[in-house]
Amino acid sequence: MGYKKTVKKYNGTINKVTLGTGEKAFEIGGRNVMPFYKFDGEAGEQAKVGIEISDEPASSWSEAFAELYKEAGDDTAAWAKLVEEKYAPDFICLRFDGADPNGKNKSVEECVEVAKKVADEISVPLVVAGSKNDEKDSEVFQKIAEALQGKNILILSAKEENYKAVGAAGALAYNQKISAESSVDINLAKQLNILLGQLGVKKESVIMDIGSAAVGYGFEYVTSTMDRILLASLGQNDDTLQMPIITPISFDVWSVKEALATEADEPAWGNQIERGIHMEVSTAVSCLVSGSDAVIVRHPKSLETVKKFIEKLS
Amino acid sequence: MDKFMVIGERIHCISPAIRSAIAERNLEPIFKRAKEQLDAGAHYLDVNIGPAEKDGEEVMQWIVQAIQNEFDNVPLVLDTANKKAIEAGIKVYNRSKGKPIVNSADAGDRIDNINLAAANDAMTIALCAKEGIPRDNDERMMFCQEMLERGMEAGMDPEDMLFDPLFLVVKGMQEKQVEVLEAIAMISEMGLKSTGGLSNISNGAPKELRPTMDAVMIAMSIQSGLTSAIVNPCDKLLMDTIKTCDIILGKTLYADSYLEL
Repeated sequence: MGYKKTVKKYNGTINKVTLGTGEKAFEIGGRNVMPFYKFDGEAGEQAKVGIEISDEPASSWSEAFAELYKEAGDDTAAWAKLVEEKYAPDFICLRFDGADPNGKNKSVEECVEVAKKVADEISVPLVVAGSKNDEKDSEVFQKIAEALQGKNILILSAKEENYKAVGAAGALAYNQKISAESSVDINLAKQLNILLGQLGVKKESVIMDIGSAAVGYGFEYVTSTMDRILLASLGQNDDTLQMPIITPISFDVWSVKEALATEADEPAWGNQIERGIHMEVSTAVSCLVSGSDAVIVRHPKSLETVKKFIEKLS
Repeated sequence: MDKFMVIGERIHCISPAIRSAIAERNLEPIFKRAKEQLDAGAHYLDVNIGPAEKDGEEVMQWIVQAIQNEFDNVPLVLDTANKKAIEAGIKVYNRSKGKPIVNSADAGDRIDNINLAAANDAMTIALCAKEGIPRDNDERMMFCQEMLERGMEAGMDPEDMLFDPLFLVVKGMQEKQVEVLEAIAMISEMGLKSTGGLSNISNGAPKELRPTMDAVMIAMSIQSGLTSAIVNPCDKLLMDTIKTCDIILGKTLYADSYLEL
């Protein structure tokens, strides 16, 4: 008996969302099959990989990163430029660690200034992330959305606590893209999308950050949440969950012990920065095969590896 | 598993507003009811133009095109005893959002409507009755089988047949209610789809009781396997019940605002 190829057809399709402007702008989404299942149907846009930079100097991460980016010194815009020119990520994620009121508590004006300089130096799309203080992030996001009008940036993220302010300013007033963050809670993921919709934000302006975890740190919850989302969005054609997914895996990966322990602490574990890269690559590719349409990594070696992985499978 | 399919019943020539709208070719009252039902969450709209013996073909084409043009090709159920009018309606029908549904065939005089649906690649409602009310479920299921065979001989996909167990009025036929639920379960066990005019059950009951009776009956029917119904989607209690059934059966994912969708 001959081999009969079966295909799995779904009713739903992931929305396409455009980030950035000009030649380096790109779309994500557009898939009506499981990730990379191009043999089943339309695999959509190729998944994208961005690099994380910070408004704080690279030395705040580790000596290894300070060494890697030493040419840029403490200038965030120069750092962004160096990353784009040397490593060619699909996008750059600028994270405002320094805005945290419990840390350096940089003013909103300072943050806007940095964001403008970075945006001027790069041509790839810009993703702006906050300090994880919801109130401060709302203020920073609103002002940055205004200052970078026309750049089509992604704001990472609107949460249950601040979606109104972030959604209204980011997407409605200044036409930027919004990520809806739901920390591995599938019902909240759907609810936030509904709430943003009720606020008047168009579906084409929303991406989901459904939460993440480094592999080995509860990642099974991340992957099962993504599975359930795809079952609803593709299988049940649930249009409140057909937003593409972005996962900032670097936010979690570099704070677990495999990445933090020095070689003096754990002599048997080998080179510290390589451990971080291994964790980052494992987490990023796991997210991509589970349903992420874009991931954010920190190390250029991770970027290179993950991009190669995507190209081979696409 | 698909979500429960809601067919809106409010464009019906039994309503004086719709009857005169059809007679005068006045679209406004028709569009108003179409919009109310779609806003309330109807998936399909039933369009009943009455017997329409005289000008049925023209009326059906007019109303199908008008509603589909105005409401992004909403899928429709073509409801009239005039076969030619149904065929004429299908000719101008846009299928982009779903096949037309013929309302209805039965196991008696109207069994040919199954062939009409098959010949036009339409779906059909198949009423499990011949003359009047089926005596018992043996008879109901025999009718169901007869119509299924007729459909399959004509090349229909059983998925395109919605079997109607015939809901009966509680006030007067209380003893028949459990039988109807059992018939739904049998149809469901055969892997077939089903539908029916639910509000029959509360006919004659005081107005304030009807939403409760309809809502409870739909929940019990869905649990028995009913896959769609012809209802008034503007009845909020009924729609909230249907949406909650979809949540409990895992056909839609829960979110705090699920009733607002």
